[in-house]
Amino acid sequence: MEKSVNAIMPGLCARVVVKEGDKISKGQEVAVINCMKTEISITSESSGVVKKVLAKEWDDLQVDDPMVIIETEE
Amino acid sequence: MLKVINGGIETLVEDWPGRLGYLGKGMSASGAFDNVSLGFANVLVGNPSGKAGLEITGGFFEAEFSDTTVIAVTGTDMKASINGEPIVMWESLQVEKGDIIKFFQIGAVGFRSYLAVAGGIDVPAYLGSKSTCVFGSYGGFNGRKLEAGDEIQIGEPKGSFSELSRNRLKEGVVPEFTNAWELRAIVGPNTSPDYVSQKGMDYLFSHTSKIQHTSNRSAYRLEELPNSFFARTDGGVGGSHPSNIIDHAYAIRGTLNICGNTPILLVADGPTLGGYMCTLQVINADLWKVGQGTPNRDTMKFRLSSQEEATQARIKQNKLLSKNSLA
Repeated sequence: MEKSVNAIMPGLCARVVVKEGDKISKGQEVAVINCMKTEISITSESSGVVKKVLAKEWDDLQVDDPMVIIETEE
Repeated sequence: MLKVINGGIETLVEDWPGRLGYLGKGMSASGAFDNVSLGFANVLVGNPSGKAGLEITGGFFEAEFSDTTVIAVTGTDMKASINGEPIVMWESLQVEKGDIIKFFQIGAVGFRSYLAVAGGIDVPAYLGSKSTCVFGSYGGFNGRKLEAGDEIQIGEPKGSFSELSRNRLKEGVVPEFTNAWELRAIVGPNTSPDYVSQKGMDYLFSHTSKIQHTSNRSAYRLEELPNSFFARTDGGVGGSHPSNIIDHAYAIRGTLNICGNTPILLVADGPTLGGYMCTLQVINADLWKVGQGTPNRDTMKFRLSSQEEATQARIKQNKLLSKNSLA
């Protein structure tokens, strides 16, 4: 089952810290958003494998914009 | 007591009007970024409007109540809930020992939610205020944003829970939230013709600017100004850029500082002095709007105001932040 990890704040994508094919755990950081001169960690709510990375550095993000697609283990 | 389960993105103890009287020592006033939402939340739970509450920025704050009390949630709608049941905002409600309050992400309009508790948030006052200054790491709860495991004391309520938990606001009192904020402002001190061209002044009061993602409790950054904004080609003895002037005190909060070509609203935790020109002052009654402006999403536009309008607006707002607004 596919699940999307979305932006939780408006801001710029500072970085995506996973790549396609990576196995990740629930709660693991997958990306970082830069807003308010601080870095906000974006974590996955599910364990699984990174199927697609949609965001890249400097992308302009709004709340709920998808950043990474996970193929979950559920 | 309030036991923090998740501090969220940035949750701070703030009161109003903050830490006044120390600008000369380099200390900004801090205080609630949206004093109107904090004020109404306090009025709803029977507190004076400036009592310390929690300012929740960006969302995801979660905490457990250790005692029965009365609360109110105002500001942006972060889909706050008690034990999973949605909270009706802008009304008071009683919570019981063991109840868990949880905030989700920011709403479609606004950026900050406020949680007031009957009796107020009880942290030690520092230099006359319970407000947190984030960049200075003083005031509030240990001078920082809240984290999981923090235990926050609550003061003594002014009234019985049964009375306090039935409060709501009169119709038409709740402030209007938007994604396009209009801020009333007075010009000065560094304006046309000495520092800003007439074309620049026209631009200042006609341009709609997106709030930059770098905006925070110290400064709200707007879109870069065109070079035609400036009346000078350099800053003379102040520096090489026309925005430079000899260091002077900044009229925070609410002054528009021009740093290079970037206009920056200096707000709650803003710097108290510096070497850049300041071209306008947002009126006190509209400062709350800055705190609800969402970085990288919302826009701001200035509208020329007058001292008389500013005074009357402030008087009207202060009257609203009282029991007179309760239904």
